[in-house]
Amino acid sequence: MNKTSKMTAALWTGAMALATAQTAAAAGDLVKANPTAPVDYSGTLSIMTKFGSQHLSPFFRDVVDDYQKLHPEVSFELIQETDDSVKGKTKTLVATNSLPDIFFSWTGTWGYNFVRGNRAVDLTPVIGAGTDWGKTFTPAALEAFVWNDRNFGVPLYLDAKFMGYNKRIFADLGIEKPETLEQLLAACDTISESGMTPISFGNKNAWPAVHYAGQLLVYNVPVATLEKDFDPKTAEFTDPGYVTALTQFSELQNRCMRDAPNGMSYQAAIQAFSDERSAMYYQEILEFDGSANDETTLKPENFGYFILPVPEGAKGDTNAIEGAPEGYMVSASSAQIPLAIDFLKFLTSQEVGKVLSASPYGQPSAVIGGSDPDAMNANVVAGMADIDSASYLMPWLDTVNHPRVAAAWLAGLQALVGGSKSPEEVVISVRETAEAVGG
Amino acid sequence: MVTAAEHPTRGAATDRAASGWLRRSGLRRRIAGLISLRWILLAVLLIGVLIYVPIVDNFRVSTTNRDIFTGEITNVGLANYERLLQDPVVWSALLNNTLYALLSIIFQVFGAFLLAAMIEGLKSKRARNFWRAMYFIPSAISTTVTGLLFYFIYQPDVGLLDAGLRAIGLGDWARPWLALEETAIFGIIAMSQWQGFGYSTLLFSIAIQKIPRELYDAAIMDGAGPIRRLWSITFPMSREMTGLMVIVTITGAFQVFNEIMVMTAGGPNNSSQVLGTWLYQQAFIQNEFGYGAAIAAVIFVVTMLTGAAQVWYTAKRRVKL
Repeated sequence: MNKTSKMTAALWTGAMALATAQTAAAAGDLVKANPTAPVDYSGTLSIMTKFGSQHLSPFFRDVVDDYQKLHPEVSFELIQETDDSVKGKTKTLVATNSLPDIFFSWTGTWGYNFVRGNRAVDLTPVIGAGTDWGKTFTPAALEAFVWNDRNFGVPLYLDAKFMGYNKRIFADLGIEKPETLEQLLAACDTISESGMTPISFGNKNAWPAVHYAGQLLVYNVPVATLEKDFDPKTAEFTDPGYVTALTQFSELQNRCMRDAPNGMSYQAAIQAFSDERSAMYYQEILEFDGSANDETTLKPENFGYFILPVPEGAKGDTNAIEGAPEGYMVSASSAQIPLAIDFLKFLTSQEVGKVLSASPYGQPSAVIGGSDPDAMNANVVAGMADIDSASYLMPWLDTVNHPRVAAAWLAGLQALVGGSKSPEEVVISVRETAEAVGG
Repeated sequence: MVTAAEHPTRGAATDRAASGWLRRSGLRRRIAGLISLRWILLAVLLIGVLIYVPIVDNFRVSTTNRDIFTGEITNVGLANYERLLQDPVVWSALLNNTLYALLSIIFQVFGAFLLAAMIEGLKSKRARNFWRAMYFIPSAISTTVTGLLFYFIYQPDVGLLDAGLRAIGLGDWARPWLALEETAIFGIIAMSQWQGFGYSTLLFSIAIQKIPRELYDAAIMDGAGPIRRLWSITFPMSREMTGLMVIVTITGAFQVFNEIMVMTAGGPNNSSQVLGTWLYQQAFIQNEFGYGAAIAAVIFVVTMLTGAAQVWYTAKRRVKL
């Protein structure tokens, strides 16, 4: 080997070693929160939220401002993402070992990924069920962030899916709030005859269909079966309730929704409801205040909601609601864990909870006493009561499943909506993907 | 400073002899060449570290499966490539990229060439400038903005396209372009042609302007008409630009990403996925970084082969004046 070749080889070896070291950088050991650690009120805290939308983004800015009034030496870097963008952004930050000090997380498999990779701080010593801070939360919300009997997340608000409807349109057409899925379909027929779109539905990003499917699945498939099927290692997807639920969804689409939902965005669909161009919209409780307020054509007094009605003969849990609490975790690589925990305590105080629960945000706080019904949208208050009385919270299919299985649900349901796959074919594609993942 | 001539141990004769030896051996030229390399050393290092090392590393990553949450890396050999061959979305994405490339060559290379020839054939300089600017304006708009613009144009209820079709009695042709699996990719490709057409036209205009006028004058004297002049002079004399545009167009077609994400996010049912968006989906949504790297390797190989083939062909058919 001549000198030049040796130099080239050395250069490549060095470069490859560098690349390998960079790629192999991984999470370390489990980091536990220390309840007695002193808080250093200085430095910069980075926070990634899911409140990037126009109407939610002021919330964190205001909380941060209030915290800085108490602790002027602390500065913040706010990364505000939306429902769609937070998924890709989080994974990019994980892959590059750049998670912010505090970051948003869903429950289910999504949150567990941070736990199994030791990316999130074990908060049990400070927020566990018996601790002072832990006692301030709704127990079910706190429990949703427990994995391996340890607490890894701080629930901020509760979320669930409801059908919002326009009371004025229903009254004009003489339609009663439907009690069964069959009554909802009949209501859709009446609304269609009037020339209006019964339910606006934008499925460009595929997950809106997954939300319909999730609620219908829990009505038609026993919870024990669903939970077994969430894990690719034990998944079978053989319960006939799967096909039944998707058939019901197809029927709902055919009779209640206009053509081409796959070409319409979620935002465009909710705008149609707010503009009174549709009579109903299937939405999260978090969106009640956004879809009907003083600036929208649909005024709050004309906004009503109901839980997606149960189909006749349903064999699953008919008292379940699709939804889950959402919250925040502390990065295990944060250099300021005590400060991050202190900020999260501030964020989950009753006072901040009341701001979060009231208009214009309308996010039902996960903190006990963290809401003031007098200051809140009455529909949000009633929705919170529905969540409290639900027998089971059905997690979102796209965050509870393995990413590949979730992708199969997303693509399959988009195909079902587009008419290129039947309910049976969608279930088969999900089953085959789960088999491939589970090995 | 002590010069060679003044050096106490080196006489003029020795200096001349040494100088002559250096000249004869060409060593001085070599040394000068090596010294001049210092000016590009930094650039070479930067390109190496930022471009070539990641390319090589991508192939290594494609032979592994990496769990981004735990950091665990498993060597899987060529398993990701085997999976790639059996993944139906990869094949439909490859087909979409190929369609993208073919239609782009038709419109953005040959269509733009014809348009440039027509514009450059105009007698009025003001008219030439006007039409060049008119066609170039869409290229100045960002792809994301254009994607959003066309997303609204294609909307079935309020979109301009379907409204226009209905207005001229072609209501049967109206459809939700981006919502149908069979039309979504074509809607995106059409948008891309609208945006890229003007840029290619401008480049071809520059190439045509460089062709010596004497050739056209001579052809006119020989009785050649406009089509004959286009075919026998303009086209062969623009061959290098055509070759370059084909490479750029094909490479661009295999790197397309933004417009897909904005307009359809790869749907419905993955029908408008291209290799770039499928790579993103696999790596950053499904955590399959190794598989994503394998898709990236395919994109790299396809674009490299296309570029190499086109460079070879263009060099072979180069017209020398």
